[in-house]
Amino acid sequence: MADPSGPKIILEGLKEAGVDLIATLPDINLKDLLRLVEADGQVNHVPLCREEEGIGICAGAYLVGKKCALIMQNGGLYNSVNGIVSTLLHYQIPLLLLIYYAGDIGDRTFSTTGAMTEPVLEALGIRSYILRRPEEAKDLIRRTLILTLDYKRPVAILLTKDILGRRRPGE
Amino acid sequence: MKRIDCLKALAEVAGDALVVTSAGGNTAEWNACRPSDGNIRTRTLGLTSSVALGMALGLPRRKVIALDGDGSLLMNLCALPTIARKNPPNLIHIVFDNRAYESSGEIGTATASGTDLVGLARSAGIKNALWVSSVDEFKQAVAEAVRGNTLTFIGAKVELFRSEVPPYPMDEVENKYRFIRYVEKTEKIEILKMPIPVSFQKN
Repeated sequence: MADPSGPKIILEGLKEAGVDLIATLPDINLKDLLRLVEADGQVNHVPLCREEEGIGICAGAYLVGKKCALIMQNGGLYNSVNGIVSTLLHYQIPLLLLIYYAGDIGDRTFSTTGAMTEPVLEALGIRSYILRRPEEAKDLIRRTLILTLDYKRPVAILLTKDILGRRRPGE
Repeated sequence: MKRIDCLKALAEVAGDALVVTSAGGNTAEWNACRPSDGNIRTRTLGLTSSVALGMALGLPRRKVIALDGDGSLLMNLCALPTIARKNPPNLIHIVFDNRAYESSGEIGTATASGTDLVGLARSAGIKNALWVSSVDEFKQAVAEAVRGNTLTFIGAKVELFRSEVPPYPMDEVENKYRFIRYVEKTEKIEILKMPIPVSFQKN
């Protein structure tokens, strides 16, 4: 069984890195993390109806001084591509993308979605890092936020079932 | 009613509001009516009101105006429930409905066959959503929204007409930097922090 403390550590890591606005769209494997975000009194939580609007919301908040993160499934990454290209990349706007890696190794569903994830990120010029172990989470989040702010383009962390405490025996 | 006449009226009452324009004809027209580094255009059809929502949440004491179009809003209708859910009192969402994709060959949008954008906004949960039918009504509605503190959605049916105004005078990256510097100056905050180079550090 995976360590159930991952979601708590991820949110702590985001807050310690200075993230103060988090836009989200659920996936079953993100539920513990999103419930923590929803219950947190310090970050401004923006629940979305579709992920691409989150690209616009985070871009607007960045332009007035907020530090943002967008939490979604990799299917949501695909929904967001036009916004990523013509808002984030075209204007050189940073954003920390936390993407649940559906179809990751061992996953019994969404293997087609999983297969396209890293190639799509690479095609967009978005550097990405896979997060599996809770002990790596805070340092990775802190350094990824530094990178996106300096690079002025989005950077992605791929959240696996291991870090989200959702990996079941046999996966 | 022409969009340019609404924009001229808006310029008289907008004060120092931050203004986000759409990926359409209102961008150059608005900048001709109120040239300011507090204007920023969008390039993704649909994201105008989402960008404005992010600004309104980030600066809750500053008025933020989204200048949207019917084609733009129709592409991102889910912006409406999300805006309603966050209910930012400092956001004014204006939609100029000319019933066409004006910048894309003037082909009709869904509003040409009756889709009611103010009705959609109201159904999404934006209580203060209204149609205006003259420039005077438009100006009065915007002035009230600027003075007040309530999330407002204003729909204006305008002619399919592009004014002869100069093109937008800068590219997107320059627009971004000028906008951020303007927000820093007018809000007295620091947004872009440059790191101190290692060679300047003492140890």
